[in-house]
Amino acid sequence: MTDALDMAIDAKGLAHRFGSSVLAVDDVSFAVGAGEIFGLVGPDGAGKSTLIRMLSTVLRPSEGDADIFGASVLHKPAAVKRRIGYMSQRFSLYPDLTVTENLSFFASLRGVPRREIRPRSARLLEFAGLTEFANRQAQFLSGGMKQKLALAVTLIHEPDLLFLDEPTTGVDPVSRREFWRIIAGLHRRGITVFVATPYMDEAERCTHVAFMDGGRILFRDTPTGLKARVPGRLLEVCTKDQRKARALLGPYPWALSVTVLGEVVRLIVALDGPSELEIQALLSSAGVVTQCVRPVRVDMEATFAFLAEEARLDREVAS
Amino acid sequence: MSIKHIRLLIWKEFLQLRRDRLLLPLIFIGPIMQLIMFGYVVGSDVTNIPTAIVDQDMTMTSRALADSFVNTGYFTILERPATESDVQTLMDKNRVQVALLIPPGLEADLARGEQVPVEIIVDGADSKTASVASGYAAQVFADFNQKRIEATGLVPDAPGIDARVRVLFNPTLRSVNAMIPGLVATILLISMGVVMSQAIVRERERGTLEQMFVTPITRGEYLLGKIAPYILLAIIQVSVVMVVGIFWFRVPFHGTLLVIGLGLLLFLFTVIGQSMFISMISRTRQQAQQATMFILIPTMVLSGFIFPLESMPPEIVPVTYFIPLRYALVILRTSFMKGAGLEALWPQFAAMAVFSALILGLALSRFQKRLSD
Repeated sequence: MTDALDMAIDAKGLAHRFGSSVLAVDDVSFAVGAGEIFGLVGPDGAGKSTLIRMLSTVLRPSEGDADIFGASVLHKPAAVKRRIGYMSQRFSLYPDLTVTENLSFFASLRGVPRREIRPRSARLLEFAGLTEFANRQAQFLSGGMKQKLALAVTLIHEPDLLFLDEPTTGVDPVSRREFWRIIAGLHRRGITVFVATPYMDEAERCTHVAFMDGGRILFRDTPTGLKARVPGRLLEVCTKDQRKARALLGPYPWALSVTVLGEVVRLIVALDGPSELEIQALLSSAGVVTQCVRPVRVDMEATFAFLAEEARLDREVAS
Repeated sequence: MSIKHIRLLIWKEFLQLRRDRLLLPLIFIGPIMQLIMFGYVVGSDVTNIPTAIVDQDMTMTSRALADSFVNTGYFTILERPATESDVQTLMDKNRVQVALLIPPGLEADLARGEQVPVEIIVDGADSKTASVASGYAAQVFADFNQKRIEATGLVPDAPGIDARVRVLFNPTLRSVNAMIPGLVATILLISMGVVMSQAIVRERERGTLEQMFVTPITRGEYLLGKIAPYILLAIIQVSVVMVVGIFWFRVPFHGTLLVIGLGLLLFLFTVIGQSMFISMISRTRQQAQQATMFILIPTMVLSGFIFPLESMPPEIVPVTYFIPLRYALVILRTSFMKGAGLEALWPQFAAMAVFSALILGLALSRFQKRLSD
């Protein structure tokens, strides 16, 4: 257990209601230690954005409270705001202002001393690879550059905690990698990062991951810890007849999860399940030609497919 | 409240205004276009009404009567049909709107001191021209009679009532004199209403509003910073309209700048409140635009800007009391033309003060609530 002083986020029974009935976030409690890269994953509509907006004081919780470095979002929002940066899902800078103008506007709003604005902006632009675009209006930047500018703006007042809401959605793969390299750099400097993402490969880069669905956080662990929860081996089945293979394998009790991912069918087989050769034989006897059945390392993609499936089954049993 | 924050927001707003290739020109070209439109087209008096004369008398007197019609400048004689039945065809074809029928024997009958019926036929399809034309025609007859009496020394059998209307404050009854002062407020409403209602919605749409509220800036600072640049623009705009109105359209100005300025300021508050409220209830700029139009049209029709309040049906009149422009128009027109001061106009000032407090309060309370979702 981390000491209270080292705690970046301590959420206690946070809930948010839209209207009178829809619970977007339902009684969520969790803690994030200082210095973590905390990944929040889950399907669209899981309540990730609402949770982030409550933590960053944009939205007032309907119930519960959260402390950010010991300051309550309900009672001391000003103290919270000083220590956080928040990057919302959509691009939220002024498209008709230049890169530099956006930076210095938010720097001044954030109370960055006047003589510090210029050197800090220059450093951040350098850091984000935007130096040569300093005088370009934000609307004429590419998607990836826009996101990097937004990140630079959220960093201008040197926050200790960053909230990033799906920062790389709609950004090309190269820019995404670059964006995560920047986040890794921030992590090394001791900044806590709280990031919502729909991408499992990004979850892999986090130090801690929470899975959110239906307004609740279902699991929270390190990526390694989460993967260890999968009680089986991951196999890839290469076949042209993916749907039939999935339909065939699905009903077996040892098939813990069967998903189609691109060209292959991914199958989690229980530890006491059949071998690769037995599975290949089983498929070919049913008329499914396979090019390969090979074991691969369990990754986040497979882990979440399994955990989500398990959560769904639990809910069905419960109701 | 930090002056530094507000100044920063104003700087940002002006930077954006300068970058906007369309908005700034529209704010200044718009009023000038509206001035020309209302000043020359709507505000112009009815002149050169196409007229037909059926002169069945063909004497000196009948010609003199026809000439006195032409001399007013209000009537232009386009046709001289021989009989009354031709007039109908001319009106059907929209060739003429007024016809003057002079019966045979006019000169002779008048010389005998008899009363002669001279008929004026007016096309009622265009009611405004019709009423104006019949008014002018009556005036022409009255003048003609007067002159004839003076010239011949004859005293008419039935003197009747010699009614003379004397128009105060706007002796030439130029409609432009009432139109331009009203236009000052109306232009303010149209351009500021449209621009301001977009201003906050735009930030919400872009997500910059949300970003603003993870900074130490307060809601009050934000609103002031957002509104102040537009107040400045409004002042410049109003000054342009007033200067053009007074020096180009030669609208006499008898009022004081204090009364006009105070009245316009109060009116501007109602416009700001209304636009802010629209900004709060709209999610997109299109919605804000629709909502602005929804308010603008009844405001124009019911405020007395185009149609006089006196001619509205009594069931409608109570509605007009809820339109702030109504009060602004009274203040501007009476102050411009009669130089009326606060002692005469305080009910209008009070009404507008109440309105601006109400609508600004409503918008502010919405602002607190609606920001986050």
